[in-house]
This record gives sequence, C-alpha cells and structure tokens, in this order.
Amino acid sequence: MSALLPLADPLAPVDHAARLPWPFAEDQTSFRYTVNVQPARQYLATAAGGWGDTLVDLGGAEYPQIMADRRRILDADPGRARVMPWMVPACWDLLLFYLRDMAASFPTIMTLDEDGERFHWVNTALGTDQHFTLGDLASLPCDPLTFLGREVPDDLLLIREREGEMHLDAGLVTFAAGWSVTFDAGMSIREIHGPVPRLNTEGVTTRGEQFLMMLKSDQAFRRANWTLSASGSRKLDVSLEELPEWGRDIPELIRDRDWGRLQLRIEVEHFVRLPMTGAVTFNIRTHLCSLADIKKVAPWREQLAAIVLELPDDIATYKGFIDYREDAMAWLLDTDSQEGR
Amino acid sequence: MTTLLDTVGALHPAYTVAPRPFQVVSVETVAPEIVHVEFVPLDGGPLTAYEAGSHLIVEAGPNRNAYSLTGDGSAPTSYGISVLRHQTGGGSQWIHDHLVPGAVVTCEGPRSAFPARPEQTAALLVAGGVGITPILSHARSLARWGGTADIVYSYRPGSGAHLAELRDLAKTSGFSLTEATDVPQTQQVLADRFADQPIGAHAYACGPIAMIDTYLELGRSAGWPVERLHLERFEAPELDPGVEFDVTVAGTRLTVAPGVSVLQTLLDAGHEVPNLCRQGVCGECRIPVKSGVVEHRDFVLTDAEKKAGDSMMCCVSRGTDLEVDL
Repeated sequence: MSALLPLADPLAPVDHAARLPWPFAEDQTSFRYTVNVQPARQYLATAAGGWGDTLVDLGGAEYPQIMADRRRILDADPGRARVMPWMVPACWDLLLFYLRDMAASFPTIMTLDEDGERFHWVNTALGTDQHFTLGDLASLPCDPLTFLGREVPDDLLLIREREGEMHLDAGLVTFAAGWSVTFDAGMSIREIHGPVPRLNTEGVTTRGEQFLMMLKSDQAFRRANWTLSASGSRKLDVSLEELPEWGRDIPELIRDRDWGRLQLRIEVEHFVRLPMTGAVTFNIRTHLCSLADIKKVAPWREQLAAIVLELPDDIATYKGFIDYREDAMAWLLDTDSQEGR
Repeated sequence: MTTLLDTVGALHPAYTVAPRPFQVVSVETVAPEIVHVEFVPLDGGPLTAYEAGSHLIVEAGPNRNAYSLTGDGSAPTSYGISVLRHQTGGGSQWIHDHLVPGAVVTCEGPRSAFPARPEQTAALLVAGGVGITPILSHARSLARWGGTADIVYSYRPGSGAHLAELRDLAKTSGFSLTEATDVPQTQQVLADRFADQPIGAHAYACGPIAMIDTYLELGRSAGWPVERLHLERFEAPELDPGVEFDVTVAGTRLTVAPGVSVLQTLLDAGHEVPNLCRQGVCGECRIPVKSGVVEHRDFVLTDAEKKAGDSMMCCVSRGTDLEVDL
C-alpha cells in the first residue's frame, strides 16, 4: 500500500478560500442539478488554492471547534442520529472504513491499530483513545455511528437498497441545510428529494440512484452541491430542528443589506460501498465561505454571480434566494463597494 | 508518487477486490467429491470483508469460476469455498486436481450477488447439496449479528457437506434445522416451513435446478410474494439452440447461429464482453440493446427490465434484428 504525500499540517490555520471545494467547473456559466460525480481523493486546483486530496477534510485548525459544535448538538439532541434496527452492522462497517481512512490520511495525529476484530483508535487532536471490538456495543461509549460522528466533521448518511429503491436507513446529521434527519430517516431517496425542483421529474434522482446501486466496493466517488446558506454566519447547523435559531437571520441580513455576510454553502458528498454490509455512504461535508471572501477572488465572484443570476426561478426559489439574488450579486460584482453595504 | 488507482480506491488493503494472489492453507474433503479450500492473501495482508452469500472468483486453470464463500464475512481471517467436482474438465476439476496447501492461485472479489435483506424479521434458509455453501454463510452471519434462522438442508445420505458445523451452529444459536435426504421429504419439509414463518420473513435457497423449482412452487402456493423468495443458481436449465438471427454492433452485422450465443459471436468477432457464468445467472455479460426484440432467457433481469428490452444477458438470450452497444 503506497502512502499519500503527507499534508503539511492537518491542523494548520484556515484560510476559508484556500481549501474551499469550489463547486463549479472552470468554464461553467450555468447550473442545473446533475449526477456530477467524480472519483474521490483527487486534488483539484481552484482560483484560490486547492482541495480534495483526502476523503475527509478535517478543517485544519478549525477541526476541534467544528467537532465541539457537532458534539454539543449531539449531546443536546441525540435524536440527530437515527439508526434503523437492521443497520447496526452497517454502522460498524462505516466506522471501520472511516477510521482506517483517517489514520492513513492523517498519520501525524491519528492511528488505528488492528488485531483481528479488536481495534485501538487514537485521535490526538480530540484526545480520543479508544479500544473497541467489532460488533461489541459494550466496547464503545456509544453506538458506532455516534462514535464516528463525534470524530469526523462529515454528516454521516447510510443508504441501502430495500424493495428496489435506495433508502436512508441510518444517519447522523447535525449540519443539515434546511432539512431534518429525524423526518427523513427511513425514507427512499426519491421521497427525500421530492421537494427539490426537477430532480425527480427530470430523471436526475433515477440516474443518481442507479449510480449508487451499481457502486463497487473498491472505488470512492464524490460530488459537490451548493447553495447560499440560510444563515449569514458560519453557523453550520441550519437544520429544521434548529429553525428558531436561524430563521430570522436572512430577513435581518436583507434588511441591513449586509451582502458580504452571505455564505456560499458547499456540500461535498462522498459515496463509498461498504463491503461487509453492502451499505452505501452519502456522507456530507459542509463548507462555508462568505461573499466578502469570494469577492476577493475575481474568477469566483464573476462565476458565482453569473450562475446565481442565470438560475431558473424555481431552482432559485428552492435555494432560498429568489428575493435577494439580484441585489446580492450586484454587490458581489461591484468591486468599488466596501465590504457589507 | 501516488497513482490515480491508489487514490480512487480505499487507502487500506482490506477494501481491494481486484484479482490478487492467494495461498491455499488447507484442503479438506467434506463430502464425496466436495473439497473445502481455505485461502489467505499471499502478501499476508488483511482480508476484505464481505456480505453473507458473496462469492469469490477463482482462476481455476483455464477457467474463471465463482464459488460461494462459507464464512460470515464480517472480519475474515481466510476465505473458504467448497467445490463439487464436475466431470466436465472445467474449473472444479482443476481445483480438485491442483489445489494443495501452499498452492498459489489468483482470486478476484469477493462479490455480493445473493445478499440478505437486512430488514427481515427472520430468514428461511434452504440448501440443496453443495448449495449449502452460501446458505452456511447466511446462517453464520445471522448467528454473528443476532438474527433468527430456520434452516432446511436437503442432501443425499452420506453427502452432507458441512453437516456437523451446521448442526453445531443451529444448537448454539437456537436456529431450527431440518434435514431431508430424499425428494418427497424435502418437499414435505419445505411446505411445512413455508407455512410457519413470522411476518417479515424472507427466504433464501441455493441448490440443484429441481430443488429451486420446487422451492419457488411451494413458496408461491404458500402465498409468499416472489420478492421474498430469493435464490442463487449454480446452474441453469439447458436451453434449446434457437434459430439463426442477426446482431449489429458498431455498424457491423454479425450472424448468430443456432446453438451459439450472442456472447460467443461477439467474442469471436474480437469484441471484449465481460462474462463469467455463461449460464444467464450471474449478470456479468449484460449489454445495452439499442433496437430489436430480445428473447430473454436469463435469470437476472427483473420482469420490468426484460419488458424494457434495452439490455440483455448475451450469454443466453437471443432475439431478432438486434442492435447492441458495447
């Protein structure tokens, strides 16, 4: 097994633009929903830097803070982790995959020792030191999905084929963008994506589902999705469960015309077929970058403005910015204006 | 320097399914004409886990054959298969004649084509003869993860491979095990067990053609929906040779003779078509169909897929004026 070139420092201070997974291709001028999957773990250069050489993006120096946020949400609302009763083996399958991947990707701060069915996980960035045995719930302080969710910044989603369709049968989600894992758990992905304009009717869901159903276990893929966050702050948890905390954010931002505070919210989804159970991951890693920071990168501000303004009304409505996109993009393109007004 | 291959797959060796060398650690006769072989990776690395009911593809001399893995798959320390010797000069004969402890053989996989439905409340497991292999895997997996199983094992007296392990497993896990040693007994037991499963149970069968036919017939007449009657075929019924017809690929028209498959016709014309079982049971040789009427003769496509007519298993299926896309 060859080693990847080690990252400079997995906990390096963060420039939000430098490692932002810019979701658009270089020559892209418009956006529609597609099954835009690509192989995982490929480094992609962007106008401000680059990203993607590892499956998991810890978030550099922000990793401990992101995980503190994740853990706080889980402690307050353990129901953000949902596991259908038959999905316990799949959660172990997921745990092993990710711990192995992170130990290989970040060897300076994480290790996983294996001895048959016994494992020893050490994460010096978070202070975790855990021995556990595969399948033995008593050997972990909590269920395997929650244990993993407390170590990685991704929202964890497991889908399985049932009755000919892929269903979200387990999920640990604390950073949902305007949806609810407690509501969606157990649904088919067709049912889950019902509210998204055109996705089901134009066959995107079907093609996506076929891709996932045919995924083989030795290949990892990813896809980037994007929107403007429903909060004008770096708050990751804009789930429906948390609606009272963020529901007023954008109306206030619009009232104040504080466009620089808008956050481009990018979700990088990773798809892996887990071999022990055949479950497929649909893990989501959320990244935020303010329009103020995007404005500093000329190719980005131009591309984002063009794409946002070109979007058909139904998609712009679904993404939540039909009412303010013109003003916000005008600000983005106006290089004479100061940050904010 | 890393290659794309290194970065697209998993970083850990326990996820590879590519063809790689294995070493035989043991060969044991478990029934007349059936040997059980255990393999470990030649490089001593960890093994990829697998779903119950999975198979390993073994390069058995000139043949590439799939054999069911008998373990529970959760954290394998070796891969075990049991092979019945067929007198056809093929892969099974090669395995019997050549595999001894220490021998090195290339294997690919595991691949899952006969998985358990995780949401089931119980499983009725039916094995006939060497079909015990994937059934044993399912039983072991259910035992390991705390499920419920009702096992039926039909075998010729003296030819029950893995009987002792199965009896032990049933005893320690509280599974029911019923053995049958002739056809009338098998039919009686199956009818009996089909009528006595809890709501939410699924059934799984692997064995000779006649047993599978009986299983399907009895299951249906006991009111089981066909979606809950899972099965794995090791062999398919013999097909009639059919009539001559044309298949067009990349603008070239080829003639498919009676008794010759579309697959063979394509291979002879120099096209590369993935294939494995050549019996219409594994799904490997599925190709898109652009036009023409397909006569489906496989056991892989669903009724809806067959009706759509836009793909076919070219190792067994035939048709009229077909145009295919490779």
